[in-house]
Amino acid sequence: MNLNLCAKVAFVKRFSATQIVKVMKLTILLITIACLQVSAKAYSQITLTKKNTPLIDVLNTIQQQTGYTFFYKAKLIANIDVDVNLHNATLQQALDQVLDDLMLTYEVNDKTVSIKPAKISFLKEIKDKANKFFAGPSDITGKVLDSAGRGLAGANLRLEGTDFSTVTDNNGWYHFNKVPQGTYAIYVTYIGYIRQEKTIVVNGKDLTINFILKGSSSPLDQVQVIGYGADTKRFSVGSVSTVTAEQIEKQPVTNILLALAGQAPGLAVNATTGVPGSRVLVQVRGQNSLDNSPLSQKPYDQPLFLVDGVPFATQNANISQLSSLATLSRTNGGISQAGGISPFNNINLDDIESITILKDADATSIYGSQGANGVILITTKKGKAGKTTFKLNVNSSFNSEAKPISLLNTPQYLQYRKDAFAADAATPTTTSAPDITVFDQNKYTDWQHVVYGKTSNNTNVHGSLSGGTNENTFLISGGFTRSDFNYPGDYADQKVSLHSAIHHQSIDNKFTVNFVADYGYDQNNSPAFGGSSALLLAPNTPDLLSPSGGLNWYYKGFNLNGYQFYNYLKQPTSLQNYNLNSSLHLVYKIVTGLTIGADVGYNRNTTASNSQNPAAAQTPAYAPYVTASFANMIAQTINVEPQINYTKNIGNGLLTALVGATYRKILNFSNTTTGSGYSNDNFLGSINGATTVFTSDASNIYKYNAVFGRLKYVYAQKYIISLTGRRDGSSTFGPGRQFGNFGSAGVGWIMSEERAFQKALPFISYAKLSGSYGTTGSDIGSAYMYQPLFKPVTSSTAFQGVSPSAPYNLYNPDFSWAVKKSLNAALDLGFFNNRLLLNATYYREREGNQLVSYPLPIQTGFGNVFENLDANIQNKGMEFSLSSTNIKTKNFLWTTSFNLAFNRNKLLSFPNLAASSYNSLYIIGQPTSIIFGYKYKDVNPQTGLFEYYDRNGNVTSAPKYGLVANGGDQVPIANQEVNYMGGFGNTLNYKHFSLYVFCQFSSQNALNYLSRVYNTNAPSLSVSNVPAAIFGNYWKNPGDNAMLQRLASGYGSVAYKSASYFSQSSGVYDNDTYLRVKTVSLSYALPESWLKKLSIQSGSIFLNAQNLFTITNYKVGDPEQPGDFTTFPLQRIIGAGLNLNF
Amino acid sequence: MVSFILITSMLVSCKKFIEIPPPPTSITQTEQFADSTTAMGAIVGVYNYNPSTGFAYADGNINACAGQSADEISYTTTNDIQQFYTYTLTGLNSTIPTLWSSPYKGLYQVNVVINSIDGNTNLSPSFQKQITGEMKVVRALYYFNLVNLFGDVPLVTTIDYKVNTHIPRTSVATVYKQIVADLTDAAQKLPATYPSAGHLRPNLYTAMSLLAKVHLYQGAWQSAYNEADSVIKLGGYSLEPDVNNVFLDGSKEAIWQLPAKQSYYATADGRNFVPSYSGSVPQYVLTPFQLNAFETGDQRLQKWIGTSVITISGVAKTYKYPYKYKNIAASSTPTEDQMVFRLGELYLIRAEAAAHLNNLQQALTDVNAIRSRAGLTASTADVTSQAAVLAAIMHERQTELCFEWANRWFDLKRTGTAAVVLGAEKTGYTADAALYPIPQSQILLNNLLIQNPGYQ
Repeated sequence: MNLNLCAKVAFVKRFSATQIVKVMKLTILLITIACLQVSAKAYSQITLTKKNTPLIDVLNTIQQQTGYTFFYKAKLIANIDVDVNLHNATLQQALDQVLDDLMLTYEVNDKTVSIKPAKISFLKEIKDKANKFFAGPSDITGKVLDSAGRGLAGANLRLEGTDFSTVTDNNGWYHFNKVPQGTYAIYVTYIGYIRQEKTIVVNGKDLTINFILKGSSSPLDQVQVIGYGADTKRFSVGSVSTVTAEQIEKQPVTNILLALAGQAPGLAVNATTGVPGSRVLVQVRGQNSLDNSPLSQKPYDQPLFLVDGVPFATQNANISQLSSLATLSRTNGGISQAGGISPFNNINLDDIESITILKDADATSIYGSQGANGVILITTKKGKAGKTTFKLNVNSSFNSEAKPISLLNTPQYLQYRKDAFAADAATPTTTSAPDITVFDQNKYTDWQHVVYGKTSNNTNVHGSLSGGTNENTFLISGGFTRSDFNYPGDYADQKVSLHSAIHHQSIDNKFTVNFVADYGYDQNNSPAFGGSSALLLAPNTPDLLSPSGGLNWYYKGFNLNGYQFYNYLKQPTSLQNYNLNSSLHLVYKIVTGLTIGADVGYNRNTTASNSQNPAAAQTPAYAPYVTASFANMIAQTINVEPQINYTKNIGNGLLTALVGATYRKILNFSNTTTGSGYSNDNFLGSINGATTVFTSDASNIYKYNAVFGRLKYVYAQKYIISLTGRRDGSSTFGPGRQFGNFGSAGVGWIMSEERAFQKALPFISYAKLSGSYGTTGSDIGSAYMYQPLFKPVTSSTAFQGVSPSAPYNLYNPDFSWAVKKSLNAALDLGFFNNRLLLNATYYREREGNQLVSYPLPIQTGFGNVFENLDANIQNKGMEFSLSSTNIKTKNFLWTTSFNLAFNRNKLLSFPNLAASSYNSLYIIGQPTSIIFGYKYKDVNPQTGLFEYYDRNGNVTSAPKYGLVANGGDQVPIANQEVNYMGGFGNTLNYKHFSLYVFCQFSSQNALNYLSRVYNTNAPSLSVSNVPAAIFGNYWKNPGDNAMLQRLASGYGSVAYKSASYFSQSSGVYDNDTYLRVKTVSLSYALPESWLKKLSIQSGSIFLNAQNLFTITNYKVGDPEQPGDFTTFPLQRIIGAGLNLNF
Repeated sequence: MVSFILITSMLVSCKKFIEIPPPPTSITQTEQFADSTTAMGAIVGVYNYNPSTGFAYADGNINACAGQSADEISYTTTNDIQQFYTYTLTGLNSTIPTLWSSPYKGLYQVNVVINSIDGNTNLSPSFQKQITGEMKVVRALYYFNLVNLFGDVPLVTTIDYKVNTHIPRTSVATVYKQIVADLTDAAQKLPATYPSAGHLRPNLYTAMSLLAKVHLYQGAWQSAYNEADSVIKLGGYSLEPDVNNVFLDGSKEAIWQLPAKQSYYATADGRNFVPSYSGSVPQYVLTPFQLNAFETGDQRLQKWIGTSVITISGVAKTYKYPYKYKNIAASSTPTEDQMVFRLGELYLIRAEAAAHLNNLQQALTDVNAIRSRAGLTASTADVTSQAAVLAAIMHERQTELCFEWANRWFDLKRTGTAAVVLGAEKTGYTADAALYPIPQSQILLNNLLIQNPGYQ
């Protein structure tokens, strides 16, 4: 048996030769006696040296060398690795060496060997007795190594059924003192590795037993990053989802947040627009706070982001201050968040190792006041020891509109406009209807095609060099990505990234240092204006460009000022963002189990933008107003977190403890300078040419300080308890309100470790019940707001030499933390040796004492005040996830992953809601995404007007404004909550081919395209196109049963008023359910024979696609961007690329 | 060990770690009112000509909206601001909120200044007196416009948002009481001289001018007469002989002007009314009723009304637009200021009060002073008929005060002639249209605000 053989090697080091001889002699004697009954006569000479080799392989080799046939039950010898060292041994010697101590015996018959479980023979009993008689307890020593031969520090060893347990030291050594005689199962566990168990016999001799642990491929044992540490799913009691590099790399997207769509249960991802570089919003488990949102839009909490432990991109905020296509997006799918440029542009997808989403209190309360909206941990790639490898990834893709819409063509459009005037018996004039009276009636331009119809390119190149020794590893990578705008003109988002990671470990393994530096540069060039309105230009709008490419400003004397589109392309805006994220992680092991360390992080994100409005973009009819704006923004985070970690076996369990503290300082500074009066367009890149200059700036300082701790105890590999606490101080709050306490308690029970469970349900290989309860908070806000402030009035001249200043806020010194209480319960099940893993989670989160920008009537002087609100919002839901290895053969592997989440939001309580500013927005007991409006009936066939139900159920075309309680006709008409969402992916690997198909789905009640059409007033009121879906669907003559009411041509029209209610009615909400084939990726691993000639280790070519197609009931526009079909569309990306490892 | 020390020290001195320096881009209210020099920043903040953080109605919307609701102007392209013309307003109209919110934002500024000055020992009693007087004039003016546009409005005179957020609409009579009280107090506090160069901050006569107007609106004829008479006789103002000079900086006629210089434009009226270039259709054009109100030879027709001729597809079309303010660009010379009160209006107030007091000769004399400056002959109105004299005064108000501070709209309403005049000229006018709707967003935020009839 391998144990003995290893022991011999070790003995040489640790014991005297005579001792060894004695032990050997005794062993041989006993074995010889024990084996007398075996009639085997071994003639063959066997020579074999193997380490840590499956028993089956060893037996096969012996079979080959001797010609004997072996019989055994496969189960009997499965999963056993042995070490053998045979030199010209006989069969008997060989089998003795291999099988002894494995509790196996053998019988040789003719030319066959049958292997059976050993019966404890009489002689063996004598042997045991002899052992006990001769010797007392034994010491057990050994080393736990990984497959590369490195000692694993902190591995946990235990003798089953005893109190003997220990943890390996820095070099992987462990030691058990004075283990009483007997037969034990000794097992070792280490995060991320397969648990290993060996049976040992303690007979008074000191033993040396080494373990070589194999990295676990089971998702249960995958290491996942958690707050200030790492854990596995197996022993976790928190709700944590991880998205790996493998899942990210297959998606041809350029923002890491986009790569999360549908991948983790309970995580909603919303792309604000399809503009390259635009913001991507994410939300964990629903909306927790009320907001001063406009009527038809939902507020949107965002989680805390940390990149390698450093707080990043507070609130995922827009980093652009000047107008661009990204900032011009309109409704963002009904979410009340501005668009803009994403702070995540600087992070290269290829540099990401994993993204972890922390959801429940057990996982997030270690982040205290910042964890209320969930936490997203982004971990970058680190170097790997071994041969220096260079990896190259090159890909290129084509982008086009994911879901184009069709608008009216010229004949339809003119008919529609004329119908509008005819409906009112009004005469179109050159000012009210130039499209009918002045423009060419036969001209047709497909503006949808002109504006968004282009096919653009993405190019991505990423190279990384990594390698090193066990003590020192490094990784250096660089990337370049260019994404062109799917828009006329030469606009693009380009990014360059440089990532490096170094790791050093002292020879004695006591000191470890990890340093990561991530540098990114993003340049976004965009028109400053344009976009959505151009889409709706009349299809017969005169040529706006002259044949020579100049701008046409007149058509037959009519001024085209309000129609020009190409002038926007001459008003460029550019943004340059630089991001440095560096993190230093130091750990020093004082004694086994106790380490001290610190995380030191620094992030600096700077943005410089320039926006120009040259004379060339302006109508030549009057003196041009030439301006240029310059904006700078600096955000800087310093984060220092000293920590102490302690790991110890106590009783039959393992205790891990963490104590730490945080010092954090976040500085934000921004300024904007606008210059005007330039004499030449070419000066617009500099402020120097301006005759008049206006400047304004803003700054914010935030300081945060905390102490935190976590205790986790895993008893007998079965029972888990986890306690977390944090005390936080934040500079956002006024004196006396700065500190808050947060904490959580979690418990887990791995039922499958119970014998009774194993007996009753043997097909369940893993079962865990876990739960947690705790608090987290929110301190979102800006500095100094607890005192009444005055600010200078910007962009205003001095009044008789005195610079004016004005009040900036209302006086409220009393606001403080919002507190969220979360309850989480989960059941994890593994079937068929964990090939199928299921998770079902129930959660209930309640946020009270909401910290909101409380909306006030303007009679108070301001529209808002920062305040705590005594309202309690509940988010309750279920999350399911499944991962399965459906088929696994040598050549074929099929795996499936699936997740599904249901979240139900509810306003639990709101004292005095009726008298508050929110009285018309919420109902107690209803979701906060509820919308009030008029209950739409249909179009009256006789009058041709929209009709609504009033509060008494009567039909009217002029419902009364206000809630029923206030005498109006408005009732809850829609709930914009997402009913369910999720994703499922399949990976099929066949030989060299790998196919990955990922689908994302979601269902909600959302604004439909009519909300945009009727947004401010009746659609036919102005010179503006509408979706083709409208044509022929409006009422014309009495008796028509039309979808839409009669058209209106002016504000005096009878149809005007009834139309104005429509955008506030249930008529603009529809079910929005879709299933989108989000990602398809096909790759082919290049044959090694080819690559060897080119001295390439491995390589693959791949094709991948994003947003390939969509199955939906949503009518016009993209179901992922409901409510506005004119917003810059999401893109369908189809690309191809090459991966090479040198 | 380092972390042990760090953690221990953090436990001990958490507070130190979250102390932040004073705000770099703002100052506290206490710092703002530390002395009379610093306090001036907040005071000129009230007069600052900035639509979002300055003098209410400096955005010119009151003239653009009320001008349409009356019979002065109409809007040329399709936009919901036309709802003022067609009387199809709803609480969702996009301009209504600015008519409501800008005075309330301004009122908060005024109330903060009054509150911070009152009893502030760092400020001299004379300074306190002066500034309180000025602020009360401003407050009275804001409320005067609010009640005339919306009817009952919440009366807010303090700065505690917890109280102010729940104030319902206060009756017009109560608001007027506050206006009169403020103006009476201001008249006692303010000197006859202006506190700074020019006529850019209120003096005694400004308070009296507004008091005259308030009395006129309330039918307190004798009081109105007395106040206007005092301003005309004692104020030292005189009518500018050339109507082109009335709105200039330093106009002799000006009782109160705001120094109208924005970064991009001079006055809001100039920006709103004057076409940005010669070839464009003006945003607002005169109605035939307003245009026809001018008599032949009226200087005001020639100098206060602009003309734009635009040819489309070979057809020339003439547009007339308000042209009292001529500058669009901020840098133009001579400089125009935004007029708040001028002597011309005071003559017409005295005339109207006199007519009601049956001093018809005096009334016509005042009307003729205005007519004469406009290059017109004396009024032909029958001096023995009160009705005829009042009609002549109304006519003169229509031509003299057009596009200024909603005068025409308020005149039609307060004299009870709106239904007759507007009913004859336009369609859609109803009694309910006399008051604008309260912005729906505000009703959402304060459900004690009950919408005006006709908009519910």
